[in-house]
Amino acid sequence: MKVDQPSFAETACDPVTVEIVRGALRAIQSEMEAVIERTAMSPFIREKKDFYAALFDATGRLIAGTNLPISGDVIGPIAEHYPLDTMRPGDLFWYNDCYGSRGAVSHSPDQVFVAPVFADGRLAGFAQSWAHFNDIGGMRPGSLSPDCTDIYQEGIIVPPVRIAREGVIVEELLRLFYRNSRFPEMIKGDTRASMAAVRLGERRLGELLERFGLATAAAFQFLIDETERETRARFRALVPLGSYAFTDTIDSDGHGNGPIKLRYRLDVTPDRITLDATESDDQTPGPINFLMSPGIPAMIFAAYLLGESPQAMLNAGAERVIDEVRLRPGSVLQPRFPAPLGMRGITMMRNMAATLGLLNVATEGQAMAAHSAYVIWYLRGRKDDGELFLLSDGLGVGYGARPFADGNDAVYLVAQENFPSEFLDQVFPLRTLGYTINSDSGGAGRWRGGCGLVREIEVLAPEAMISMRIDNVRFPPWGVAGGKAAGSGRCIVNPGRPDERLIDPLSDGNIVRRGDVVRIETGGGGGFGHPFDRQPELVLADVRSGFVSAASALADYGVALTDGTSIDIDATRKLRANRPEVHLFHRHAYSEQLA
Amino acid sequence: MTSVPPSTATTASATAHAIIGIDTGGTFTDVTLLDPSSGRVFNAKTPSTPDDPSRGFANGIAEVLELADLKGADVARVLHGTTVATNLILEGKGAPAALLTTQGFKYVMEIGRQDVPRRSSLFAWVKPKRPVPPEHIFEVRGRIGPDGAEIEPLDEMAVEKAARAIAHEGIRTIAVVLLHSYANPAHERRVGEILRSLLPGVSISLSCDVLRVFREYERTMTTVLNATVMPVVAGYVERLEQRVREQAITAPLLLMKSSGGVTSADSVRRAPVETALSGPAAGAVGAAYVGQLNGARSLIQIDIGGTSADISLIDGSEPNLTTNGRIGGWPVGLPMVDIVTIGAGGGSIARVTDAGALTVGPLSAGAVPGPVCYGRGGTEPTVTDAHVALGHLPAFLLDGRFKLDVEASRAAVQKYIAAPLGMSIEAAARGILSIIDNHMVGAIRVVSVERGQDPRDFSLLPFGGAGPLHGGALARLLGMKEIIVPPGPGVLSAFGLLVSNLKAEFARTCLQRAGDVDVERVARLFDELDTEGRAWLDSEGVPSAARRVTWFASLRYRHQGFELTVPWTGRVVNTTTTNATIAAFHRLHERLYTFAQEDTPVEIVTLRVDARGVFPPPAMPELAPAGPLSDALIGQQTMHLAEGSQTVPIYARAHFGAGQEFEGPAIITQLDATTLVLPGQHGTVDKFGGMLIGDRGQA
Repeated sequence: MKVDQPSFAETACDPVTVEIVRGALRAIQSEMEAVIERTAMSPFIREKKDFYAALFDATGRLIAGTNLPISGDVIGPIAEHYPLDTMRPGDLFWYNDCYGSRGAVSHSPDQVFVAPVFADGRLAGFAQSWAHFNDIGGMRPGSLSPDCTDIYQEGIIVPPVRIAREGVIVEELLRLFYRNSRFPEMIKGDTRASMAAVRLGERRLGELLERFGLATAAAFQFLIDETERETRARFRALVPLGSYAFTDTIDSDGHGNGPIKLRYRLDVTPDRITLDATESDDQTPGPINFLMSPGIPAMIFAAYLLGESPQAMLNAGAERVIDEVRLRPGSVLQPRFPAPLGMRGITMMRNMAATLGLLNVATEGQAMAAHSAYVIWYLRGRKDDGELFLLSDGLGVGYGARPFADGNDAVYLVAQENFPSEFLDQVFPLRTLGYTINSDSGGAGRWRGGCGLVREIEVLAPEAMISMRIDNVRFPPWGVAGGKAAGSGRCIVNPGRPDERLIDPLSDGNIVRRGDVVRIETGGGGGFGHPFDRQPELVLADVRSGFVSAASALADYGVALTDGTSIDIDATRKLRANRPEVHLFHRHAYSEQLA
Repeated sequence: MTSVPPSTATTASATAHAIIGIDTGGTFTDVTLLDPSSGRVFNAKTPSTPDDPSRGFANGIAEVLELADLKGADVARVLHGTTVATNLILEGKGAPAALLTTQGFKYVMEIGRQDVPRRSSLFAWVKPKRPVPPEHIFEVRGRIGPDGAEIEPLDEMAVEKAARAIAHEGIRTIAVVLLHSYANPAHERRVGEILRSLLPGVSISLSCDVLRVFREYERTMTTVLNATVMPVVAGYVERLEQRVREQAITAPLLLMKSSGGVTSADSVRRAPVETALSGPAAGAVGAAYVGQLNGARSLIQIDIGGTSADISLIDGSEPNLTTNGRIGGWPVGLPMVDIVTIGAGGGSIARVTDAGALTVGPLSAGAVPGPVCYGRGGTEPTVTDAHVALGHLPAFLLDGRFKLDVEASRAAVQKYIAAPLGMSIEAAARGILSIIDNHMVGAIRVVSVERGQDPRDFSLLPFGGAGPLHGGALARLLGMKEIIVPPGPGVLSAFGLLVSNLKAEFARTCLQRAGDVDVERVARLFDELDTEGRAWLDSEGVPSAARRVTWFASLRYRHQGFELTVPWTGRVVNTTTTNATIAAFHRLHERLYTFAQEDTPVEIVTLRVDARGVFPPPAMPELAPAGPLSDALIGQQTMHLAEGSQTVPIYARAHFGAGQEFEGPAIITQLDATTLVLPGQHGTVDKFGGMLIGDRGQA
């Protein structure tokens, strides 16, 4: 977006003001998120916590956002319809238009609410909330389905609209929106929660601007510069000059197309960092297309490099770390309207893995191994009394092992929680039969990849339809530096019964009936380092706790156990003397390069 | 309020009157004795004895009895706040425990809520190790449904097999958590019976006894933590009782729970995890009491110590409670005083980063080496050093027994902060304080909004060693009208013990769908909970006139995942009281979250009964009327204020009388804390010794 820099941006500000502003921004964000968390209604928000709050400066640059590597020009699309100089205090804007926002929103259920913030009568910043609403119409309950072939099937599209003018809400727009949902009561609650949070952010950011006046903009600038400087320094320290290529693979688009390749090249010269993804495969008929904002790869680098650093914030400064990102219109990373986007999570997660892959190529295996894409499955139907129900259950997966630690077991994402089994049993016509760790799904390595999990339920409704979203079955998450690839996920109906059947990992329309058992296993993360270098005691502990089988201990780690309870030292020594040769990456087999 | 002293099983002699409160902290054990007959209060401070805290406990009692010239027989009750369970949980040093759970749910704890914490990194965060490893978790078949119906009978053979395996492992404490046991605990109780018969002497924690509410991860974690702390806490409680007897005290020993009520040693032995927040709860109770003495019903209290600050709200006469608390990284779903802790305290270290930013905390110099001015080896400037550099603290503390090295503080601020940033020492020190104050202000705001409150409607009650140094600045930043500095800011927890009452909470999840409330079932469950409450009051020997039993219900809008707790209207369950309770929920929701959804059905989720035994409120000693302010003047020193340096008076708080008035800028010293009165602030002393400080013209 194009706006003039406010003249006061040049005003110097002192380190004390910067630190106070930093603390205040974080507190404002937390306050806003507290409002959303405690008042929203969609299970996606209230239990799974698929929301965040963010703050922007007067030019629409992100100052404080989520710890998820998300990026995009949030304010620009609004300014195209409502020029900044027409905005007034009390205005509130709203959209979910993916193509209209060039990927600032990347699938339609995510609703963005934005309030401009004024200080001394001048536009001085923006407060934003972002939350995934349960159902906004579309082809199937929950709005998202692997079956979709265009974005119109994925629910109502809201272009940037002014939902409130000077504090007066345009109720007609909301009525139109609610009427398009199968669960109007829920999205009504979500809308109110989102708007209340943004209003609070507007008030708080306004107070901050009032208190520090001109120095606030300078503090914002400092916070952005600081993140850029810090990320750049860490990037340069880790990544030598050179040109690096990495390819990662998505199984399928759910419509018989695939595998789909993400082909990246990273060029690092003394004065320029370029990421080229133009060789990636074409967009697909199925909804795995990811309308990627060019800032996202840089955000991933920054999130990875900044780690648990308490100081620098993941903001617009991070996006500047890569000088240029080249994307090809018509590719799976830059689909053309109206290609469907509902399953873009698969590609988003593979993009994250491919970005880590680039770091591993550049550092010869000193970064993190790959993870599985998180799993979401829907169970839809009618209860015995005819009431419509919709379960959208996000399941954790294994994350990649790291040069300093095992990968995390059974994690979904930052700040996104599961449904307790007791909650599912109470609210949905099903009985949970198991919620366990998917043994052996973590890739073997000096550091083990995280394990996925297993959710098993029995259907208690007369009939229900399953929508399944699992990737990384044919192409499991890779291991690095000698670490092995992870195990895959799958979905089985009636395991061990004569009518046992597998459900296509990316599919919809799967009918199950009362008494059917559905077992979903999620994939793991890749291992890091040679498995023979893992301490036998750690391998034994994994076997005892059920994360690794005795067979895998023997075959993958070269550790022989007696009765699964103690290490056979002699046998282990012999096994480990015969050390397999390894290469930089592993998927199916070791290789220096994945294709 | 009518109340009579409980005649507890181990009754104190008829002439007994003294009340003793013992708060065991990390460094010191604070002991306070109140002698209502003489209206006198005695304080003693003795070093804590972390290897066996009961020694410090005994030393403290002996010391305070001697100070008051009383005997064990004169003691009416002994109240204790303990961090034994807290430390075991925080340090992961509980006893090795086993867990029995439903077939298929062995990894509930391991999976947790499958999230990476909101402010953590997806890439760098490492999942913490669980308190019980999966190999010590045993699954048994058998299933109860969410409505309490048995779906599959309990496999007792599997329980026996697990018992043998546990015995083989040498594990002496077991948690039992079966799915949906909140709805029907029959299977859990049967497992308990089998384990007790096969493993005599082994501690058993049933989730239906510890936390009978839904959400298996939180219930499991709470029950497991109970099991891991049980052996150590039981031994500790036994030693305490022994120590009490050794002092010839026959009065009952009561321990502070996280919920801000005390209970018998026997109850603590059964549910030791209820003491996980014992220490801070005592402080919150003390703060609430001080607020009440001043007629302030809405308080924000902030307890600022060396490494952290604890913030909580009091809306009414008691500390707010939460059932979503955490101890360390673990959820503990029991009612506990709603306290938020941030890493900001007197020992927080100030640094300049490579990027040229000034940061304060969360790294702390703690008690050792402590701030630079303590001269114990600290080199980097802390928040306390910033105060010292600005002349906020007198050069001598603890009645002159402890000298602060002012020049060392100033040199450290100069070297590490002022020089790199090109500022004066004073500007750098003021910067450090501004940052830490704003950090606390942000936390206070978040705590307030989460509870639907506006800090401007509250009074601020700062306590802890560093609280009264920051209170004035915090109140101004938050637009609060006044601060109340309690008489003993450093020993408020021990004081809180003296004024606490017996209390226990009983809860049961009972999901009632909107518009389809099973009135009979709700009535039956309330009746059961009420009976449990009364049985507990019987066991504590509380006479009927001192009993307070209150009903509550936790409700939510259909589709919401978060419940709000409101008092049940009346003591009967029918359509009228149910509707009145739902109406109260709408009003609370509106107050907390700015809107109510009267058109959305409301679900009843959990029923709660709160049972209390109320002690007669102890008569608080009152101050003599104030003399001339000059009587309290003990010195003066230069303070570097933003508006310039000036000489300010130092007053000894011990010499203040009731109705004393003073003006800022000033320093008020006492043994356990220093109060900073800012320019433009005005203070008065109430008859109980509390100081009310506000901006001139407002307070």
